[in-house]
Amino acid sequence: MTALKTASLAALMTAALAGTALTTGTALAADTVKIGYQLPLTGETAQYGQDFRKAAEIALTEFNASGKPFKAEIVFEDSRSDAKEGTNIARKFVDDKEIVGVLGDFTSGVSMASAQVYKDAGMPQLSQTASHPDYTKISKYQFRNIATQAQEGPYNAKWMLSKGYKNIAVIAEQTDWGQSVVSGFSDGVKANGGTVVFSEFFNRGLKDYRSLISKLERAKPDAIYTGFFYEDGAQFLRQVQQLGIKTPVYSTSAAYSPKLIELAGEAAEGVHLTSNFLPTDPAPHIQHFVTEWKAASNGAVPGQFPAQAYDAVRIMLAAVEKAYPNPTREKVRDALAQTKDFAGVTGKTSFSADREAEKELVKVEVKGGAFVPVAD
Amino acid sequence: MIDPYYLQQLAIGLSLGMTYALMAIGFTLIFGVLNVVNFAHGEVYTLGAFAGLVLISATAPPIFAVIFIALAIGAMAGFSLERIAFKPFRRFTDEASLKSRAMRESTLLSSLAVSIVVREALEIVFGSQMRSVPFEYLINTPVRIGPVILVTGDFIIFGVAAVMLIGLQYLLTRTRIGLSIRAVSNNPLGAKYVGIDTDRTIIMTFVVGSMMGAAAGILTGLYYGAIFPAMGFVPGIKAFVAMVMGGLSSIPGAVICALILGISESMATTFVSSGWSDMVAYGFLILTLIFFPNGLFGARRERV
Repeated sequence: MTALKTASLAALMTAALAGTALTTGTALAADTVKIGYQLPLTGETAQYGQDFRKAAEIALTEFNASGKPFKAEIVFEDSRSDAKEGTNIARKFVDDKEIVGVLGDFTSGVSMASAQVYKDAGMPQLSQTASHPDYTKISKYQFRNIATQAQEGPYNAKWMLSKGYKNIAVIAEQTDWGQSVVSGFSDGVKANGGTVVFSEFFNRGLKDYRSLISKLERAKPDAIYTGFFYEDGAQFLRQVQQLGIKTPVYSTSAAYSPKLIELAGEAAEGVHLTSNFLPTDPAPHIQHFVTEWKAASNGAVPGQFPAQAYDAVRIMLAAVEKAYPNPTREKVRDALAQTKDFAGVTGKTSFSADREAEKELVKVEVKGGAFVPVAD
Repeated sequence: MIDPYYLQQLAIGLSLGMTYALMAIGFTLIFGVLNVVNFAHGEVYTLGAFAGLVLISATAPPIFAVIFIALAIGAMAGFSLERIAFKPFRRFTDEASLKSRAMRESTLLSSLAVSIVVREALEIVFGSQMRSVPFEYLINTPVRIGPVILVTGDFIIFGVAAVMLIGLQYLLTRTRIGLSIRAVSNNPLGAKYVGIDTDRTIIMTFVVGSMMGAAAGILTGLYYGAIFPAMGFVPGIKAFVAMVMGGLSSIPGAVICALILGISESMATTFVSSGWSDMVAYGFLILTLIFFPNGLFGARRERV
């Protein structure tokens, strides 16, 4: 079967290569600055990459229409969330002398693999979603526009303990990111006097969580903390409801997507999670993005990830603008590092000395089929 | 008294095994006749699910209409699949070509190619996001039996799998088309010499097998409430393992092995991390290949 899997992957790769070297932007303008964006456009995580591209295109069109002294162009490359493919793309971007900065990848694993290439070449890399604590430690060229699990975990741990949940079960997907969810949260729980009574990993895309849920319930937790994305989350929540389990479920900002409620329906009621983007926020720049997004996606409301991608692209473009004229990779990196209080749709963003995005988190609960901000 | 926890795990395992069995039946039927793996079976499953979903979102039909359209699409998919990926390799009718393994095995790749094209096409048309099924169509209302909680879908899937299995056994042993399917599966050349229309028989096998695949797809879609282009991949692998364990061409064997697989996976979750439960399927595959090269139920080498 492995040989067949390899064969199918090889075939997929050829199919993907043929169709993905897509570029957008205006090549005709007198002065064009190029940025690379590596993201999964096909494969199992394609839905995220497709969203990122859509968000990036909105940001890019706005930038090019705003009468700046130069035009920007983004080169999109499909990494299929595959570390090997990600590294190949990184080499390609590094070899293209016109590219001064890179966005992406989607997962922490692929971002970190590619980061090794960018580190040696001195290429600034800004990921909209890679939240593994080790990512920004790779070199001074790695930035991210997402709160890490090292920030979010202890924040959520304090939140749950303040609600009186002392014995907490933790489950997360079996990925670099999932492991950072469990470790970040468990450290926070222990530091604040709670107990993690159960912790386990599952494979992304698992369909039947009932065995895991039954096993978890045997540990009799007061609450469940989960590290999953909306597809896995919706299945999990639905099966928790099927098994008649009433234990409260908390999750990370990664599950914050309207699709979670759409897929899980009433099983999502009462789920608590954190977020840094609220599409219902009346601030004009947020409403502007929500309107643009809806126009590009049949009226669907954007989740947190596209919002982070939109901000990441704008932060990168702002850095390029600061480095203009004659932007170099080094100048763009320095400009990125100086980003302070960038007013994006995911709140004000500044990069700390170790290139972490400092973000404010909002507590949210699912009530009546919508994400509602809550005070505690 | 057994701990209710284990009863619950057993029930979950059985229902998991049923969803694998549903897929394995059609898969094994096609293998039994052509002696090659049809890699596009997972995509037929996905197509069935999408056909049902499109109908549901367009007209809010009764549930049996949804199943019916899935079956119809399955039949069409099976017919076209055979036409595109299998028939071209049978165009030489001389004895050497009919006996050639290379000719037969090239359909491994052609069916894989069809599966990739179909999956990517579905991704282009529907997007790769998971699509939800309207809640009134879901078949997962909880049902409590003593200490064990199941859902309505478990019973429906059990019923459908049983009907498929019995119906297929009837078809294969009592009807003319079934007899010709068995003849072709036993010895395609011999069947041809005694005047059986082998082309027609192979097409019929594909149509029947793919209808079952498509029905499995829509039922599983309604059961889990999520339909997406890559949904056929994992069940395809599990069905493949069940088929190999069951002796490659024994349909009852594949069903029993699918159930064993489901139960082992859910029981394994108790003792090892859930992240490792896929190891069970692959572990079984390796053990079967080493110790029972003919499969657990394949000792007599009977086909279909």
